[in-house]
Amino acid sequence: MFYRLSGTFHTNYQADRKLWKIPADRWLVLTVFALAVLAPFLVSPLYLGSYVLPWIIWSAAALSLTLLMGMAGQLHFGFAAVMAIGAYSSIHLVRAGVPFEIALLLSGIIAAVIGAVFGAAALRVKGLYLVMATLAMQYLVDWVVVNVPWISGGAHATLRTPAVSFLFMDISSLASRYWLALAWAALITVFYLNVKRTSFGRSLVAIRDKDFAAAVIGVDPFKTKLMAFFTSSFLGGVSGAILAFCYYRAVTPEQFGFNVSIQLVAMVLVGGLGSVIGSYLGAGFVLLAPIFLTNLIAGLAASGWVPVSQNFLSHLPLVIYGAMIIGFLLFEPLGLAKIYDNIRKYFLVWPFRHARS
Amino acid sequence: MTGARDDVLVCDNIVRRFGGVVALKNVSVAVKRGEIFGLVGPNGSGKTTLVNAVTGFYPPQEGRITLDGKKINGLKPYMIASMGVARTFQNVALFHGMSVLDNILMGRHIYMKPNPLASFFYPWWARKEEIENRKKVEEVIDLLQLAPARDEHVDVIPLGLQKRVELARALCAEPKLLVLDEPMAGMNQEEKEYMVRFILDAQEALGLTVLIIEHHMDVVTALCDRILVLNNGQEIAQGPARETIANPLVVEAYIGKPRDAA
Repeated sequence: MFYRLSGTFHTNYQADRKLWKIPADRWLVLTVFALAVLAPFLVSPLYLGSYVLPWIIWSAAALSLTLLMGMAGQLHFGFAAVMAIGAYSSIHLVRAGVPFEIALLLSGIIAAVIGAVFGAAALRVKGLYLVMATLAMQYLVDWVVVNVPWISGGAHATLRTPAVSFLFMDISSLASRYWLALAWAALITVFYLNVKRTSFGRSLVAIRDKDFAAAVIGVDPFKTKLMAFFTSSFLGGVSGAILAFCYYRAVTPEQFGFNVSIQLVAMVLVGGLGSVIGSYLGAGFVLLAPIFLTNLIAGLAASGWVPVSQNFLSHLPLVIYGAMIIGFLLFEPLGLAKIYDNIRKYFLVWPFRHARS
Repeated sequence: MTGARDDVLVCDNIVRRFGGVVALKNVSVAVKRGEIFGLVGPNGSGKTTLVNAVTGFYPPQEGRITLDGKKINGLKPYMIASMGVARTFQNVALFHGMSVLDNILMGRHIYMKPNPLASFFYPWWARKEEIENRKKVEEVIDLLQLAPARDEHVDVIPLGLQKRVELARALCAEPKLLVLDEPMAGMNQEEKEYMVRFILDAQEALGLTVLIIEHHMDVVTALCDRILVLNNGQEIAQGPARETIANPLVVEAYIGKPRDAA
């Protein structure tokens, strides 16, 4: 079997801490990345624009959230608000004449500062109370965006994103928007993996697992949680800006409502808390499964397999989708990432049955 | 009691109350550099409260605690940790989401500067720090013979090994004062003997000062240079291990007076 652990030995600490320690994993990652880069040539524009592009961007957003929810264990039910701050800041900054590259960075910092302020207020509470506090952030930010015309342009207004270029590349064609989004997703992925193997990531996990034991080895719980809120909100803010510029191209407050926050939490949970591959799989599942189910059932109905009323038909995919999420949480609480991991582990030690690590 | 030069930890007339309960009544203790100091007493006598006062979880209402002459009472637990106090817990407090290696690496936290940017620029920034600290961690792993379990997930290894991992995590901080809260709780005789040997090895190799809470008297006499016996939050005896355990007051506190048996 090509995909195995035995025969892979590390002789120094640097090799032992590689991102992908097993050659087969490296090849897999390279292949997937190459396919993703070539996607505009492989996939029809319709599929690229309406499936692959949003999937990539929402995966980046889910990765930003899972840094906070999965790694640091701080529940956040207002992450769409963080993305809204990023999206609106970037549009206004670009309109004010700031170059797009710097506007992206600044919108991330604005989202991070506001997110961390709410985080600091919310950090005196844990668990369900933190959920309530972050919900308050969602509604507060929503209210401000809708009711301050200077931000949203009015209660039902739509803000068009100005034409921009990124590093001298014009961001207007579908392919260029896709590549920018892909670059951001790749950047977050590398960042997340690097966080996982350094002291920053370990201190986040320590705070999540046992905060008193973390304190006794010198981790400042408040500072660490605040850093988690700051970093995660920064990534979320930039993801929001990317979402606005690369996908929506016209922003309204409803695009960042409470239901979007819940959708993000669903992506993180279905994918698997704190997992990189889980964020991609979770975002894909939450975005694409309803579409897939709708198409499937519409196809079955058209061919006379499911003789039901049109009204029932339009709700059936949502019912199945809900059942699938409940099923996941019941039977595989660690999410899609765990299913992937089980399959990988099986091949890793095949033909034997026990993995050493 | 004044802090002499060779006293690492000095507790001076500590009082800690929980509501109406006085858990520590004017307890004074001085731990000398390089010694293993035992803290003994029946359940509820205030041993863990004293340790929690030292490590900052329950700061004392009265009295003064100094580490190497610097006052530490009133500081937050993480500040006391960064000043060189490491501890283990009676119920193992490891991080379940991490491997054995990462748990022990956590012990180096006070020597590392966690920072998202450093993580992002790993090859140029964080890698050097990670590898330097990894070397120290591997020394401790060798000392405590944890190499076979290094890559295991921490909640799949047996309790005796988990306690050893927790000891390794504390040792990695190169502490001035190591506080062990019942390191032998729930262990069988063989595991206890292993643990005693590891503590003695570590103390010899690293020149540690240890404050240890322990119930097993065979362990106490094997390990401790001096002990303090507490009962109901008060000191009832202090001195060299063997003599103090033979003290009639100590026997009474642990087992009871002959007439109580009737």
